[in-house]
Amino acid sequence: MNESQHGLRGRTASSVDDSDQAALALVTAGQLDALQELYDRYKTMAYSIALRITADGALAEDVVQEAFLGIWRNAGRYVEGRGSVKTWMLAIVHHRAVDAVRRRRPTTELPEREAVPPPALQLPDIWSDVAAGLDREEIAAAMATLSDVQREAIELAYWGGLTQQEIAERTGTPLGTVKSRVRLGLLSLRRALVGEGDGLADGLAGDGGT
Amino acid sequence: MTHSEAIDRAAAYVLGALERTEEAAVREHLATCAEPHAEFEALSGVVPALLELADLELVEPPAALGGRIMAAAAADLAANPRAGAVTPSAAASRPTPSAAWPTPSIPTAPSAPTAFPSAAGRAARSERNRTGRFDWALRIAAVIAIVAVGAWGLSLQGQLQGAHDQLEAARHFDTAIASVIGAAGQPDAKTVILKPAEGATANGIAAIASDGSVVLAMRDLTPTSGSQVYEAWVIVGEAAPVPVGGFSVDSDRTAGFTTRPAEAPPGAVIALSLEPSEGSTVPVGPIVSTGIALAPASQNG
Ligand SMILES: [Zn+2]
Repeated sequence: MNESQHGLRGRTASSVDDSDQAALALVTAGQLDALQELYDRYKTMAYSIALRITADGALAEDVVQEAFLGIWRNAGRYVEGRGSVKTWMLAIVHHRAVDAVRRRRPTTELPEREAVPPPALQLPDIWSDVAAGLDREEIAAAMATLSDVQREAIELAYWGGLTQQEIAERTGTPLGTVKSRVRLGLLSLRRALVGEGDGLADGLAGDGGT
Repeated sequence: MTHSEAIDRAAAYVLGALERTEEAAVREHLATCAEPHAEFEALSGVVPALLELADLELVEPPAALGGRIMAAAAADLAANPRAGAVTPSAAASRPTPSAAWPTPSIPTAPSAPTAFPSAAGRAARSERNRTGRFDWALRIAAVIAIVAVGAWGLSLQGQLQGAHDQLEAARHFDTAIASVIGAAGQPDAKTVILKPAEGATANGIAAIASDGSVVLAMRDLTPTSGSQVYEAWVIVGEAAPVPVGGFSVDSDRTAGFTTRPAEAPPGAVIALSLEPSEGSTVPVGPIVSTGIALAPASQNG
C-alpha cells in the first residue's frame, strides 16, 4: 500500500496501523519476514526522508539501514497509544538522518553511536486522526498559516537537522526569537489542522512571527 | 533539568532541534517528572504532519538495500537470539498522558514476557507457523554475525575516520554479501559457508545460483602478487575438482566473485586455492578455504 495516499486514509488508517502493529509484534519475536514486510511498506518513505535530510544517496542508505536495524532490535520499545507504528518508525529514520548530517558538521557535538532509537516522538500523535479529512489544498492552507520566518525555522530544524542554536546563528536571529518562531509555527499548524484553540499560545500570539 | 527548562525546550525537542545531550536531559525529565506536559503533547502531535506538508519527493531506495538490511538483521538474530523477552520500555514508565490524549484500553505490560497488544498477539500466534523465508539468511548469519557487526559499524560513518582502507574493505565485502544474498534467494539456490583451511585465514560465504554459478564473498585473503590467482573449485563426491574461475586480491584482502556455472548439488564441496598462475586444471597451490553446499531446508522464495 502506498502510504502517501491521502484520500483513502480515513477508512484505512486504523487497519493499516493494526497490520503494522501485528508486524512489529512479530519483529519483537524475531520474525525476519515481519521486518521485511515493514521495510517493504515504508522503505520509500524512509529513504525519501533520509535523502532529503542528507542530500547524499549513500549516506541515506546507511541511515535507512541503521534505522531498520534499530527498529529490529528495539521493536519492543514501541508503545501503543503513543502514535502509530508508521510515525514511530519514520521518527527513528528522521533521528538517524539528523545524526548523520550533524556528524558531517565538525563543529557539532558527536552523538552516541549506538544510542537507542529515539524516543523523542513517542508522544501522542494527532496526525493519523487528522489526516483522514484533509486533502492537499487543506494541507497547503495549513502551511500557509505560518509566517515565512516560522516556516524557515521549522524547515531548518526538521529538514536541515540544525539545532535551535544553529538556526539562530545561521539566520542572525536571537535564540529566544527562534524558540518562539518554532513554537508558534507548530501551534499554528496544529490549530489549522485540528481546528483547536487550546490556549497554549495565549500571551504569545502575534509575537515572534515577524 | 527543571520542569520549566524542559517546557522551554518542548518545541525544539519535538522537532529534534536540540543537541542530543540536551535532548536526553529532556527525555530524562519527562520520564521522571509528575507534572503535566501538555505543551509536549500538543506540539509533538503536529510533527508527523510535517512529512505530508513537505511535499516530499518520493524516491525508491536501491534494491540491494533491502537485502543488506535483512542480512544484517538475520546476523543480529543469530548473534543475539530472542528469548521472547521484551525489554521494558523507558517510555512506558513515563507518566500517563493527560486526559486529552487517552491511552488505549490495552495497557502495555513491560514486565510480561511478551508485551503484544492483543490484536498483534493474535496475529503473532496465527503467523507463528509460517515457513521462514529467511532460513538461508539465518544459516549464513551464524557465520557472518561478526561481519554484520562490522557492517553496522561501517554504516556509522565517521567512526572509521582515518581507517579508509578498512572502510573500503568493509564496503567491498558488504557489496559482495549483497550479491550472495541476491543469489541465495533464487529458486533451488544453495548456500555455502567457507571456513579457513588449516593455517589460512580466508573465510566467507557463497550462494550457488540457479544456473550453478557460485557467488562468493570472501575476506581475510592474503593479497595476490605477480601472476597469482585464487581459483574456485567445485568437488562432487570422488570426482576430480572442477575449476570454475579465479580472481586476484589486492590490499583490501576482500573479494566478491561469481564463478562459471558448474554442476554443484547439495553436498558438493566448494574450495578456494591460491594458484601460482591462472589456468590450473588441478589445484597445485594451497587450499585456503572450503565449505559444503547446503540446500535450504525450506525456501519458498
Ligand atoms: Zn516536568
